[in-house]
Amino acid sequence: MPGKLVDYVEAYKMLGAYEIKAAEAKYVSSAKEAIEFSHGGEPLAMKVISEKALHKSKSGLVRLGLSKPADIEGAFEDLSAKAQKIKPYKILVQKMVKGDKEIIVGGKTDEQFGKLILVGLGGIYVETFKDVAIRVCPINEYDANEMLDQLKSGKIIAPDEQSRKMLTNLLLKVSKFILDHKEIEELDLNPVIIYEGGYCAVDLRLMR
Amino acid sequence: MAPDKVKQENNGILSDADKVKGLAIMMNPKSVAIVGASQNPDKVGHVILQNYLDVGYSGKLYPVNANAAGKILGLESYRNITEIKKPIDLAVIAIPAKFTSELITECHKAGVKSIVVVSSGYAEIGEVKLEQELIDLANKYKIPLLGPNCLGVMDLKSRVDTLFLPTFKIDRPSIGGVSFVSQSGAVGSSTLDIIANEGFGLSKFISYGNASVIDETDILNYLAKDEDTKVILYYIEGVKRGRAFIEAAKKATLKKPIVVLKGGRTEAGSKAAHSHTASLAGSYEAYDAVFRQFGLIRADDIQDFVSFSKIFVSQPKCTGNRIAIMTNGGGVGVVGTDSLYSNGLQLAELSEESKKALKKALPPIVGVNMPIDMAGDADDKRFSATLDIISKDPNIDAIMAITLFQTPGADSRVASTLIHYGTTMEKPMVVVSIGGSYTAVHKMMMERSGIPVYDSPNTASRALAALIGYSKYLHRMRK
Repeated sequence: MPGKLVDYVEAYKMLGAYEIKAAEAKYVSSAKEAIEFSHGGEPLAMKVISEKALHKSKSGLVRLGLSKPADIEGAFEDLSAKAQKIKPYKILVQKMVKGDKEIIVGGKTDEQFGKLILVGLGGIYVETFKDVAIRVCPINEYDANEMLDQLKSGKIIAPDEQSRKMLTNLLLKVSKFILDHKEIEELDLNPVIIYEGGYCAVDLRLMR
Repeated sequence: MAPDKVKQENNGILSDADKVKGLAIMMNPKSVAIVGASQNPDKVGHVILQNYLDVGYSGKLYPVNANAAGKILGLESYRNITEIKKPIDLAVIAIPAKFTSELITECHKAGVKSIVVVSSGYAEIGEVKLEQELIDLANKYKIPLLGPNCLGVMDLKSRVDTLFLPTFKIDRPSIGGVSFVSQSGAVGSSTLDIIANEGFGLSKFISYGNASVIDETDILNYLAKDEDTKVILYYIEGVKRGRAFIEAAKKATLKKPIVVLKGGRTEAGSKAAHSHTASLAGSYEAYDAVFRQFGLIRADDIQDFVSFSKIFVSQPKCTGNRIAIMTNGGGVGVVGTDSLYSNGLQLAELSEESKKALKKALPPIVGVNMPIDMAGDADDKRFSATLDIISKDPNIDAIMAITLFQTPGADSRVASTLIHYGTTMEKPMVVVSIGGSYTAVHKMMMERSGIPVYDSPNTASRALAALIGYSKYLHRMRK
């Protein structure tokens, strides 16, 4: 059974080696450090990271769109207070990524067939619509395209040739990543935010 | 452990090739010993022996029963399998589980080449140790073993039939090109009974129960190579060797269509649901992914086995999804059109030439748009004229001929016309006929001639979609 969550910053580096893009982030131990990370007003997301809190947004442990120093400071204090119940914890600040669509890209180890890869409509819609497509790794370009075709939301998340190419490339990279990292039992990149001309994974959940 | 010792043990283990060879022997044995054969009609061994006699098996039959005295069902019987002292290709074992381990050793002494254990009372009820003994002994003596807890095998051609279901309770199918594999005996026997009443016929039936030695992957390897098998139907609840199954399926789907029904879809999701992915990609979803990825045709229900088999055994491959509908009943044509779209197909558009030709060939009441409503008084000539034109239309990939036999013009001549075109043209054709006894007669007539007939437009569209989906897979893989 998968047990240990890979630290965000470590996961960011591991994925980076496969050119899988994720939001830049840093752990902070004070409001001052968080304000510095925003480089004078770039919007931030602030999250409590704890083994005891798996669904952060449901538990009120995420604050988004913080750019004013006062707001950053307020959020830091608020989250620190809430996190007392789920010690040990860390506070992560992350560059906000703006986009209009959210997808999930996932991986898991099936006891019969080995490594699986998943793609679907992401963010808060994952559980509601369960609009996902799954394949056994490794996948090829055809499989990646078929996965997108299988989704009811395929035309929404990849409306044109360019975004389709970008997403199939991402799926191929993730397939390679999960095959190369046998120890990673489960992987959730959710949400991966899609914006004009690019994507960025903003939450990384790698379990080993 | 000394290296030579290890080697010796490995030599004793049945390889995949041994198991495939074992299945071939099981399916076409020259001699069969039935252990547990009995004069008592309540015993499973009695039914099995009686069935061998009923279906006209022509090889040697040896009833074995520890308490035997004299003849069983008119055949000379033996108290022990070792007393037979003649070659035994297959031993069918129908005695209580606790005696089977000893029997396997005796089978070895008697030179038995393959074993089917129909008895139950093993791992399925927690008797894991008994099953392990069976596995160890089969491997030690290198005897391929099917079961336990299964119905065994049936081959319509060689007339081997280990099923303990009396011939008066379950119909035996005619000889055909479909082979059916079922983990479950119940799904197996009920489906078999339905297949027996269909026109396409059966080649082989294999019920493999606990899959202790020969498993679903071995059976797939065997049937992929079997020349009599044109279509494979699979009912599985789980596979024992996932990656090996994938490798076998990859090869097999290139040779013939494999329709698979996976039981246990609603099984609760993964226990280790730490992530969204883990909870969304449960065991069923993993199977579904494998089936999609490697060209297996997914059945939703037992009924799909029948409706898919019909089209796969008789109709040519087809990679396009533009379907022409011709009908002698307007309303059913509308329902038919809807069913195309809900199954990912589309209504074809007639070419200009076809429109002109149809206008010329058909009376003015017939509109020359899709779906072609030939009107309620359409007779064989009108069916023939329409089919003649649309079978040549390059805008049409396949044809759905809705034929309602309640109408004044529809009779056996219409059925003959459909048979003529359905068996000679290059495009696939399905017939939809909804009705009672008069319809049933014509349905039988057409199906025996290799025309798939469906009793609802949706079933017909599902079957077409399955044929097209598989054809596209083949086309892509062969490119």
